[in-house]
Amino acid sequence: MTATTVRTRTFVQALNEALDISMASDPSVYLLGEDIAEMGGDFGVTRGLWAKYGAERVRDTPLSEAAIVGTAVGSAMVGLRPVAEIMFADFLGECYDQLVNNAAKMHYMFDGQFKASIVVRTACGGGFGGGPHHSQSVEGWFLNVPGMVIVAPATPADAKGLLLASIENDNPILFLEHKALYRIKGDVPDGHYTTPLRKAAIARPGKDVTVVATMKMVHEALAAASELEKEGIDVEVIDLRTIRPYDAETVLASVHKTGRAVVANEAPKLGGLAAELSATISEECFRALKAPVVRVAGLDAPIPFSLVLESYILPGKKQVVEGIRSVLRA
Amino acid sequence: MALDIETLVDLYRDMWLIRAFEFGLEREFKKGNVPGMLHTGVGQEATQAALAAHLKATDCFFPDHRCHGINALAQEKHQGDGERIMAELFGRATGVCSGKGGSLHSANPRVGNFGDNAVEGSYMATVLGVALAWQMRKEPNVACCIIGDGTVGRGEFHESLNMAAIWKLPVLYACVNNGYAISMPVGKGHASADIVDLARGYGMPCVQVDGNEIELAYVEVARAVDSIRAGNGPYFLEFKTWRWQGLFSGEFRPAEEVRYWKEDRDPIRLARQKISAQSSLQDADLDRIEAEVAQQIERWIDFAKNSPMPEPAKATADVYVGGEGLR
Repeated sequence: MTATTVRTRTFVQALNEALDISMASDPSVYLLGEDIAEMGGDFGVTRGLWAKYGAERVRDTPLSEAAIVGTAVGSAMVGLRPVAEIMFADFLGECYDQLVNNAAKMHYMFDGQFKASIVVRTACGGGFGGGPHHSQSVEGWFLNVPGMVIVAPATPADAKGLLLASIENDNPILFLEHKALYRIKGDVPDGHYTTPLRKAAIARPGKDVTVVATMKMVHEALAAASELEKEGIDVEVIDLRTIRPYDAETVLASVHKTGRAVVANEAPKLGGLAAELSATISEECFRALKAPVVRVAGLDAPIPFSLVLESYILPGKKQVVEGIRSVLRA
Repeated sequence: MALDIETLVDLYRDMWLIRAFEFGLEREFKKGNVPGMLHTGVGQEATQAALAAHLKATDCFFPDHRCHGINALAQEKHQGDGERIMAELFGRATGVCSGKGGSLHSANPRVGNFGDNAVEGSYMATVLGVALAWQMRKEPNVACCIIGDGTVGRGEFHESLNMAAIWKLPVLYACVNNGYAISMPVGKGHASADIVDLARGYGMPCVQVDGNEIELAYVEVARAVDSIRAGNGPYFLEFKTWRWQGLFSGEFRPAEEVRYWKEDRDPIRLARQKISAQSSLQDADLDRIEAEVAQQIERWIDFAKNSPMPEPAKATADVYVGGEGLR
């Protein structure tokens, strides 16, 4: 289906539109989570949907993350398409077992007899003084789990298209929403459309160096690219969009073209997405690489409260610029 | 309330099927024919037979670790191929999950078996969703979750009972209190040795049943299922029973306790005494039932042993619906 008109929308509005469109067209879609009904969610993503679709399909729950995701999984086992909200990604530890041992494995271990067609939306990422338990980037916690799908949009248009694609998909999907992106604006097509899962986007084409990024780091990478453009450095920015399973083809083709790669991810460097991408690029593009792959990632520490401390931990434009310069120097 | 003799004899046969299944499995496990771990439900046959008698193929149950018996009963009753549970435990391609699940993950939704999750208590959360879907669609089905006393220690116990209560979900909690969580006595691991005491605060009917008296178990399950189907919300049954299997390393419980449960409180022996007292059936008639069941189980074991192993390359199939491309 193709959308016709395009309007300016915030990331939150785009997500809200996706939920509205799927609830209007598919009665098996329902929402559950903490304070998502009358209150519309902590960040307003579900605002207005309770009034439109009723308490049956927009369900407030107690502070019971395991029961929230368990309910989602069980209802998917008999054909519903739940969209659960976990208020902050840091709380996913409370339902980790439901996601990792139940949702991710169900289709496999029961030999295809059940589908865990769930979407778990959650707010992640730092930069606003949220402290150690409201700021984390959790993709690494789930990266090592076969069966799990991790989706992470960077723009309002992709937020809507990827959320619609996720709700319509039959796999368990962890849908990461970076808090710093909630208020950004962008062009969003009207009506129903989907953005393909496991398909990266080339956010900015370039020929000198590839930067592979996710969520907020896509914007940091684009800002870095604009700055370096003044010096005649042409940066290609790839927005991964789906983190697991990811679009290795697009990443590797780009690195084969540029011969230089920087991987930018907000989570701690050790054992995270940046490590995985760096390893795969090094394995697959070794002969094409003119410099070792550089990882731009969070420092190996919890995320502290004070903004001075937090900004010391988290990577931004500055670190991406430094990363690009270092692969160009080599 | 006394059951009619045909029902009692049917339940007797079902209980024997569970026991013969487990004994046969244990024998093959010791021979090295069954991989992995083995948790048997011997001694707990009455609860499983009572549940299987009242749950329809359109209902669901989430089995626990000692539920090979109800898995096989449901498979046999609704689909006539109980041997596919045996084959699953042997890790064969003919098993209900083609060998991917095994003892702790045997499922078949067509007979209402929604599968064990080997992390005890995990499906206490999952059962809520099945029940919620049925409530939303106004389907009068029962979502049953079979748990052990050990599972009561999990946080999901609270989350599940609380949410089922506030949403009035059609959930039957069947708690099989066999006295021990591995080696932890129930009274030492929980604030009360009577699990109903812990469940009562959620405001649902909570009934403690002698889990070794098949008639009582049958009647209480019927009452619970009727109440749930009538739309009255969740229901909690605690079956007091005892498991015959000790630890892998052997028996750890006092000799007198073992003797009492195996000799005085064996659910099958108690049912046999009742049938003999209430009907003209003789020992020989009941022995014949046992022999028939034993032969059936041997046929299932032969089927499992003679079934092909899965294709090794199937190990990477079905990780994602639609494959790596997520279509």
